[in-house]
Order: sequence, then C-alpha cells, then structure tokens
Amino acid sequence: MSASVSSGTGSLLSGKPLRVIAALILVVNGLFPALWILLTSFKTEAELTAKPITWLPHAATLRNYHQAFSDQPLLTFLFNSFMVALLSTALTLLVSVLAAYALARLNLRFRGLIMSVIIAVSTFPLVTLLVPLFETMRALNLLNSWTALILPYTVLSLPVCTLVLTSFFEAIPRDLENAAMIDGCTRFGALFKVVVPLSAPGVFTAGILAFVNSWDEFLLALSFNSNPGLRTLPVGIQLYQGEFAFPWPIISAALVVGIVPVAILIVIFQERVVSGLTAGGLKG
Amino acid sequence: MVKNAAARVDTRRATLSRWLDPDETTLAILLLAPTAILLSVMIVYPVGRLIYTSFLDLSLTSGLPSRFSGLANYQQMLDDPVFWQATWNTILITLITVPGSLLVGLGLALLANLPFQMKWPMRLSLLIPWALPLSFAGLIFAWFFHSEYGVVNDMLNRIGLPGVIWFNSPRLAFTAICLTIIWKASSFMAMIILAGLQTIPRSLYEAADVDGAGRVRQFFEITLPLLKPTIVVALIFRTITSLQTFDIPYMMTGGGPGTSTATLAMYIHQNTVSFLDLGYGSALAVVMFGLSMCVTALYLRMIRGSETVS
Repeated sequence: MSASVSSGTGSLLSGKPLRVIAALILVVNGLFPALWILLTSFKTEAELTAKPITWLPHAATLRNYHQAFSDQPLLTFLFNSFMVALLSTALTLLVSVLAAYALARLNLRFRGLIMSVIIAVSTFPLVTLLVPLFETMRALNLLNSWTALILPYTVLSLPVCTLVLTSFFEAIPRDLENAAMIDGCTRFGALFKVVVPLSAPGVFTAGILAFVNSWDEFLLALSFNSNPGLRTLPVGIQLYQGEFAFPWPIISAALVVGIVPVAILIVIFQERVVSGLTAGGLKG
Repeated sequence: MVKNAAARVDTRRATLSRWLDPDETTLAILLLAPTAILLSVMIVYPVGRLIYTSFLDLSLTSGLPSRFSGLANYQQMLDDPVFWQATWNTILITLITVPGSLLVGLGLALLANLPFQMKWPMRLSLLIPWALPLSFAGLIFAWFFHSEYGVVNDMLNRIGLPGVIWFNSPRLAFTAICLTIIWKASSFMAMIILAGLQTIPRSLYEAADVDGAGRVRQFFEITLPLLKPTIVVALIFRTITSLQTFDIPYMMTGGGPGTSTATLAMYIHQNTVSFLDLGYGSALAVVMFGLSMCVTALYLRMIRGSETVS
C-alpha cells in the first residue's frame, strides 16, 4: 500500500510480474494477427500445407512478394488507394478547417444545432447511401473514377475532423489572432497564418484520421469502381483468390504491403492519433 | 470625373475588403458553406432520393422504366425470409459483439492503464487493430479459422481438442464472425475507455487505500461509476457501427453457408449492386436508416446530457 499501489490508477493489478503478463496479453492480442500474416508471407506453399502447421517459416522466401506484384496489379491498387485517400484527406482538411474555425470562434446562433447535425452525420450508415449515390454517380458518369470515392470519403471524415479541429482551435488564444489582425491581417489571413500553423498537431491528427478512414473503406470502393485499373487495395486484394484456390502466402504478402504504410504512419504519429481519437471519437 | 473614378475605386475596394474581411454573419456563411454544400449533395439529397426510390419499381435488369409502386417494396420485404434472416443476424451481431467488445475493451484498457515504463508498445497494440482495415481483418481471420491450416484449430489440437470446420455450419460461422468483430472493435473501445480512466483523479484511489478498500471494491465503487458516461457513449457509438456490419462477414463467409450469416448491409449491397434492384435495395436501406437514426437520437441525447453535467 505505498507508491507502487497508488500509481496503478484504477487498476486491479499491480506489481512487476503482473505488469509483464499484462504487457504480453496486450501485445499478443493486438499484434498477433498482423505478425501471423507477416510470417505467412515468407512461407512456401509446401510449408503452409504441412501438418501440424509450422509457426515460423523454415526457408523464408520473398517469392510471395514477387508473385503478389506480378499476379495482380498490386502497385496500381496501392496507387489508387493512396491517391484517393490523399485527395479526400486534403479536401476534408480544407473544408473542416473552415467549419471548425466558425464553430470555435464565431458567435453562431445555431452552434448547438450545427454541432448536433455534424455528430449525427458521423453516425450515418454509409450503406444506406449506396443506392442513391450509385444512381447519382451513374447519372453523372462518375462510376469507375477516383471522384466517385473522394466525395463520399470526404463526407465520411468531415464530422470527426471538424470536431477534432474545433477543440484544437478553441485552445488557441484569441489574442494571437487579434494581434495579427491589428498588424493588418484579414480574418482569413489570421486563420491560415496564425491559427492553422499553431494547431499543426491538430491538423495532422485530423489528417491521419481522414487518411485511415479512406484507406480502409471497402463497401463503396467495391460497389462504385469495378474497373480493374481503378480498384483500391481492399477491393483488389480479393482478386487473388481463384475459384477454388486460395493462395494464402501470396495474399498475406499483399496484405503486408497494404498494412505497412498505415502502420508506419501510426508508429510515427501514435500519440496524436490517440489524442485525436479520444477528442473526436468520444464526441462523435 | 476624377472624383467619380476615385469613388468607384473606393467602392470596389470596399467590396473587396468586405469579401476579405467580412462581418461576422457573412463570415459564418462563407466558412460553413462548403460543409453545408457537401452534406446537402452527399447526404441530404441522397436520403431524399433514397426514400423516393423505395416507392418505385426500379430494377435495372428488367429494362423497364421505373414506375411508382407504392408500398410494394415494403410488402415484398415482409414476405422475404432473407430480409428477416439478415435483419435478425444484424441484431444478433449487435447484441453479441457490442457487450463483447465492451468487456474485452474494458479489460484491455485496465491492462493498458498499468504504470508501464514503455508506453508505446501498449499504445501500438491498441492502435494497429483499430487501423487495420475491416476487410483485411475479415480475410486474416477467415484464414485463422481455416479448418485445415488455420491457427485456431491448430491451437485447439495442441490442447487436445478436435478442430472444427468453422464455415460449414451456420452457428460456427456466426461464432467466428462475432469473435473477429469483437477482436477488431475492442481496441477502439479500449482506447476510449483508457482515456476515461486517465481522467479519474488518483487521489480518489489514495483515499480509498487509506480507508482500507480493496482493489475489487475500488473498481466497482470508483472506477466503474466514474467511467459510466464514457462507457455509455462508447456503447451507443459501437451499436451504430455494428448495425452497419458488412466487411467482416463479407470477407469471411460471403454470407454463407446459404444466407445464414448475411447482414442487412450485405443484403442491401446484393440487391443493389448484384441484382440492380434499386427499388427493393432502397426500401431495405430505408429500414436500416430508420434503425440507425433511432440509436443516433439516443446518442445525441446522451452527449447533450454529458455536456450539461461537465
């Protein structure tokens, strides 16, 4: 009942061995699936079908990666995913910076209502938009284009980004903007020269959330872009399975290629992602 | 003349500066316009369109022009066993995975809240499952549950239990899907709960220590009550996402065997994209929209409630 106890805020466990066990549980639970895919991506087909199954690859091979890129246009899938995610992230940030500034700084009469609408939109089931958006995109001849995904993805991320940015903007002292405006900056100038740079961490956070949202989306990508040259990674990865065969090591290699970019992003910006998720996630 | 021109330049400058430095109301409209336009075009109009289409006989495969058919699509739904199955599956997934991911998430959050020297591995082990695309998780776990080469059956064998053929029986397939969803969703739950845990003042536990309250009692009398608002909001949010379940069952079973693991979202997708029956697909989507909005209304109330408290 001393220092070590009180530092375990609210937990049932304390003490070093228990902490080691806890760490093991957390890491195995969180990382085992990704690790298993990584191990599999180095196995040969023969190793995969061995009984009992081998855990570690004995003769690690890079052949699966070679196959993953040559059997299907994996590079094209990656490029499509990346561009769609990047462009929708840029658009989301632009739009949500403006909206968040209005919500954080202006005396809006309907602020509460606007906030409620934004939160309601964040809970919106994307699949219900499938029919009308499908019709609209078909009518506008946008099926099989990046635009068919960029626009819905922007709307998908807009609420959470606006909420995160609003809370960041609110934390910046008004005096700094006022000083800039006295020095001759316009309101917009103050927003983009003072507020946005000072909330760079918030903008990063919102950007990562938007990027991950778009990178992960599957249903609309599956429904709107059937042209092979425009498939995103989650959709393209299905193509590896033949009618009867399921080449797991090759699929694993493709999955690893798809997981790595986002994993790197998460490793670099982990703290910001957590703060963004809890700031935006809790409210919407 | 000269005076006139100067005045004109002045007005022009005034217009320009009004745009660059507008008053509060104009500014609000300018700033919120892009959001409003995007939401109107991508949500408000489509929802209106959705409701309208749900009253049409609009099937792109029939080649016939769309015509008004009243409640025929809804009538068809009542008589459609697959609709009932898919709806029931969706509700069942919600009933199982929402409490399931809460319990697992709470456990993970309590573990992650221990005073570790290195915090980043714990943070990473919560973030990676969250960032893993749902469709990837579906694929990975489909393979975990593979009857011959899956690691789940391998582990069952290692502890002396027989492996099972997960995807041949509706019940086992459903179990595998629910386990996968719980794994995927619990990390997000854990992160939200962890944030809640870290706002609880340490002094409360110190005081409880002085009073001689044990760990279990502290958990039930301090931790849980103070976490309640966080948990309720996280639960409702999870419920809304759970109603939309698509990627994981789509990747793991494709709705099979038969239609035994299909969800409402999968059935909407099938009717729309595969059968091109936009009328019926819309009616199904309207039902889901209704379900989801009911939960959202509850969600908004809870958030409003927690804001007035804090």
